[in-house]
Amino acid sequence: MKILWTMMLVGYALGVAQSIFSLTTDKRWLREIAFYGLLAAFTSHTVWLVWQGLSAKRCPIVGTQEMCAFLAFSLVLCYFIAYRWYRANALKAFILPIVFVLITIAALANSSTSNQPQDISQPLQKILFPAHAGLILLAYAAFFLSFGAGLMYIIQERELKQKRFGKIFYRLPSLETCDAISFKAIAAGFVLLTLGIAAGIAWSRARDGVFWHGQPLEIFVVIIWVIYLLMLQSRINAGWGGRTAALASIISFMLVIGSLIGVRYLGTLHVFG
Amino acid sequence: MNIVLLGLSHKTAPVEVRERLAFNESRLPGALANLVDQVCVDEGVIVSTCNRVELIASAPAGIEKGIDRLQNFLCDFHELPLHSIHSHLYLHADSEAIKHLFRVASALDSMVVGESQILGQVKEAYRTAIEAGTVGRVLSQLMHRALSVAKRVRTETGVALHPVSISSVAVELANKIFGDLTEKTVMLVGAGDMAELAAQSLMQAGAHKLLIANRTAEKAANLAQQYNGGAISFAAFYETLPAVDIVICSTGAADYVIRPEETRRALKSRRKGPLLFIDISVPRNIDPGIANLDSTFLFDIDDLQGAVQSNLKEREREAQSAEVIIESETQSFMKHLRSLDIGPQVVEVKAILAQLALNELKRHRKRLGALNAEQESAITEILIPALVNKLSHPLIAHMRATARHEEPTDTLEELRKLIRID
Repeated sequence: MKILWTMMLVGYALGVAQSIFSLTTDKRWLREIAFYGLLAAFTSHTVWLVWQGLSAKRCPIVGTQEMCAFLAFSLVLCYFIAYRWYRANALKAFILPIVFVLITIAALANSSTSNQPQDISQPLQKILFPAHAGLILLAYAAFFLSFGAGLMYIIQERELKQKRFGKIFYRLPSLETCDAISFKAIAAGFVLLTLGIAAGIAWSRARDGVFWHGQPLEIFVVIIWVIYLLMLQSRINAGWGGRTAALASIISFMLVIGSLIGVRYLGTLHVFG
Repeated sequence: MNIVLLGLSHKTAPVEVRERLAFNESRLPGALANLVDQVCVDEGVIVSTCNRVELIASAPAGIEKGIDRLQNFLCDFHELPLHSIHSHLYLHADSEAIKHLFRVASALDSMVVGESQILGQVKEAYRTAIEAGTVGRVLSQLMHRALSVAKRVRTETGVALHPVSISSVAVELANKIFGDLTEKTVMLVGAGDMAELAAQSLMQAGAHKLLIANRTAEKAANLAQQYNGGAISFAAFYETLPAVDIVICSTGAADYVIRPEETRRALKSRRKGPLLFIDISVPRNIDPGIANLDSTFLFDIDDLQGAVQSNLKEREREAQSAEVIIESETQSFMKHLRSLDIGPQVVEVKAILAQLALNELKRHRKRLGALNAEQESAITEILIPALVNKLSHPLIAHMRATARHEEPTDTLEELRKLIRID
């Protein structure tokens, strides 16, 4: 186990270091080291999640350690997909630091899962709970991707408007690429969020017999769902894009983070470890 | 085995001198054949461009004779006295010559650092020399290494990364905004030369369609035909604008012809991404207020020139890391060259064998009985050298063969060790 965590920490740390260094000096050997580091880290990450899931006989998504590891995994996955489609290497600089922080929290966290929700062992809930939590975490990872792409859009646009053709200008992807990544990430995130909410409702119904507990996080999530629905709608129907759309995806994601932080102080059922 | 280089470039000679010393393409094969005299110079390559002439040669008779030969050849060929051109020439030998050639091929010595033409010209010069039969074992390896060093410099440093001409900067900007130009429409307003060039570069970079707006319909139609685009009248500019992604403007107008208020109104119905304006005209034809519109980007000639300047500076910075590569490649090639040079080893092998034979002769001399002076000298001057030659021949042939194909250092070390065992 220890070796897996060491590989994850070292590999992601290398990735973070390279993505920051590459803003000023782009060395091939550094790129190669970081690439293999990332590969090793992601492999260990996958192995750890699979092992954890197999040994606990459930989806590894319960408790701080597993949730952080799962969220980090979703983020790396999002990055790989965005890279595969758009060769948007600069996204690394936004995603990998968060991944590293999440993995550090996970590595330090107590691996006991005392906060395990009750009745998770019942057959139906065994599917519904991980579906609910997993889909929503994946959705948040996608929203983070749209946040990162939005941020890159704003920075690149500022460089263009101010006519600064420096290193950052050359490293960032084009405006339309940022816009397209942001759009696709929002679309994917929205679908995942919708499914996640549906799974949550079904789980709540199966466990407590009610669809809705009226809890703060439930209200937040509905607000977030409506915001992303509106953004998606104006992008699809009104051809919305550019600066305001980028700003909107940044602000929306901040709301997501705000709701997660806020719920720690208000929360009841939805407290994660 | 020595390498010598004689040359002149835009840094040492004005164009009046360069044009007189350039080698015409058609005369190059003759010149190459002429250069190689098999005594002082046994292999030669001539790189001749509008900015430089470089004579690179392998000089078996030593550096001085090689350089003399190159100087005399250059003067004789162009029928000029040496004193009239001497001050414009630079002369390099061995590691300095190799380093210079590597720098030239990597475009570090070029007027625009990192430009891509010179690599092709060096390649062409090498090909011509191969066809003329003036490239042998030494220069073929040197030229191959020069080309691979140039490639290494281009991929590992940023010397050729950022564009340094107005029209390529325009393409770079379009790429940074749109990413992919294949669906994009370019509109050329007016017909300044530079604007036309920029539009042409954008089309080469993959832009989908070119529209031309001109005050005179005839000129617009002519240009449209030339670039396989569409002509529109000047009056229809704002109507067409919503369908356009990139506007390049260069008219002779004394005032702004594209204004923010009209543009804003025209773009109201526009539903697609950003719009790029490039104003290459002086005085400017696009009101700078355009840049304040949302998703609209405006660059004037100063902005483009500023980008060119900063990219040039960036290339010069990158050239410093390129010099490090050149230095280490030069060292490694020199080492390689020395290992190929089996002359000293041949002498050593023969000397060791001769010494062995003489020692044995001394040991067994008594058994030969009394010999007269003639017989004595026949042993030491005929018999022993003949034996040494016979015995060393297969060894030397083997060394030559290895040296021709690969790094032979190991083989020679082995041989020395083997021969010394007694």
